[in-house]
Amino acid sequence: MMLAAVAVIFAVLILLSMPIVFALAVAGIAGLWLGGYPMQQLSSALVSGSQSWVLLAIPAFVFAGNLMERCGMSHALVELARALVGWVKGGLGMSVIVVAYFFSDICGSKMAEVSALGSSLMPPLTRAGYDRRDSASLIASGTAMGMLVPPAIFMIVLAQVTNTSAVALFVAGFIPALVIMICLMAVVYIRARTNDWPVDRRPSLKALGHASLHAAVPMVVPFVILFGFIFGVITATEAGAVVAGYAVAAAKLYYRNVSWRDMGKIAYDSAILTAAVVFLLAVASVYQYLMGVSGVPQMLGEVLGPLKAHHWAFLLGTALITVLFGMVLEGLPAAVVLIPVVFPIAEAMGIDPIHFNIVQTAAVGIGLFLPPMGVGLLMALRFANLSVGQHFRTYIPYMLALFAGLILIICIPEISLTLPRLAGLIR
Amino acid sequence: MLRKLSDLPKLAITALIIFAIINLLIGVVLRYFVGAITDWLDVDPVPFTWVEELGEMSLAWLTLVGAAVGIQQRAHFTLHVFTHKLPPTAQLWIHRFNHALIVGVGILAAWYGYQLCLLNRTLATPGLQLNLAWLYASAVVGGILIAVYGLAMLVAPPPQDEPLHGTE
Repeated sequence: MMLAAVAVIFAVLILLSMPIVFALAVAGIAGLWLGGYPMQQLSSALVSGSQSWVLLAIPAFVFAGNLMERCGMSHALVELARALVGWVKGGLGMSVIVVAYFFSDICGSKMAEVSALGSSLMPPLTRAGYDRRDSASLIASGTAMGMLVPPAIFMIVLAQVTNTSAVALFVAGFIPALVIMICLMAVVYIRARTNDWPVDRRPSLKALGHASLHAAVPMVVPFVILFGFIFGVITATEAGAVVAGYAVAAAKLYYRNVSWRDMGKIAYDSAILTAAVVFLLAVASVYQYLMGVSGVPQMLGEVLGPLKAHHWAFLLGTALITVLFGMVLEGLPAAVVLIPVVFPIAEAMGIDPIHFNIVQTAAVGIGLFLPPMGVGLLMALRFANLSVGQHFRTYIPYMLALFAGLILIICIPEISLTLPRLAGLIR
Repeated sequence: MLRKLSDLPKLAITALIIFAIINLLIGVVLRYFVGAITDWLDVDPVPFTWVEELGEMSLAWLTLVGAAVGIQQRAHFTLHVFTHKLPPTAQLWIHRFNHALIVGVGILAAWYGYQLCLLNRTLATPGLQLNLAWLYASAVVGGILIAVYGLAMLVAPPPQDEPLHGTE
């Protein structure tokens, strides 16, 4: 009864366009009141939910990502990817996917990534003669894949919500992203052959060396993250601090195109985004408390009992729900509303928490870029000046590639678990 | 004067994020570099547990003050399903209703935060011995600011710009 009232209040307020976090707060307060629970739980959750060492990685990575994007590091990566694969059939298209993979490494926010890639890649793709619908599809699907490449804010939030190691989750993301990348590359190659896409001229060795030198500055970041974690040298939060420090040094000593005043503005924008994300998590802990005391996970566990023998069916079912949540609610609200409900069931079923979290991360990435409402896709379409309807047919093969990658990740847990196991982060 | 006062929370969150990142960097230096040097010299290690306490406390303050500033900046995730298609008068009343509820959330967070301050005022953090009331005061200040920004938005007209197809 109490939970039904909470759900109805939440749904009505969402429909009335109340910010999701405050709709959750009002519904949570109503739940505490109706259930006769102490109202101090509200303020206690706000403080304890935002007082977390793991979540401290968020401001550091958000600030570093914003600063690196402002320096123009995405341009250096675009030039290198074009020099490496732009001259093979479909190479320019493939270079978009490669850039999305590496840019995700330095940029923690999906919206910032779409915006950076859209502005830096749409003009060269158009000049090279690529159809705008394909260009938007490449940017959207590449960025969706990049959701799995650390450091993603979503992964830090998932680690917090499911009490899993953020480092293990970060390390686990590299290979699943590679799997989806290969699926996307196959689509690009087939479309390039059938539609006779144009190619770049083969670059000279000097040009290749020049592009590599410029890209070396942003390329340090993925290596710091990957090797720092694999060798157990740094934690996720410390990695955030190191990357932020590196970004400041690169901006002031190498790029020299960001003033201290600009940096203050970037810090302010990063603070606002951090607060929005962490406040959402803190408020959602009231709602998680209500579900916990009402025994919702146990109840759902009994309902979903028949699926226990088929991990893949459970993962596929939850992934599809997450895709829909990700499309409608965006990634982070989806994580705090849905994951706390389904994660205890997955754990009870014996599904590895890292595998579960990687599947959900991939699913949220797809949801963000799924028509007709995925906010990432809508942003990518803004750069191509296209409507969802105009773009839909061209996007189908790219979506199929994303889903094919997701199914592979679901059915083969080793894709997610090999790297963290090799690093000794999980058994 | 009022303008300068309204800039204070924005300056505070900018300072807090910079402080949090510098604090983390100091932690990394103390743990990996200073720690190695003191080990090599065989002298007493420099403690760095306070880094965690300061970091967590600054994140709590950053979150609660930033969440309030985010109301004015429209930084919180919002879903626009149909309200932007309603007549302007209906939009205005929905806008007022939503922000009245936000004011209520802020007042409750501040009041119960104050109760928690009283409850925890005799306790201190293990490392720096900081009074825990300082931590829970973030809910009081954040709650008051949420109510103030919510009230400011309540009396202001609803935004007229087109939402990004459902989410801002």
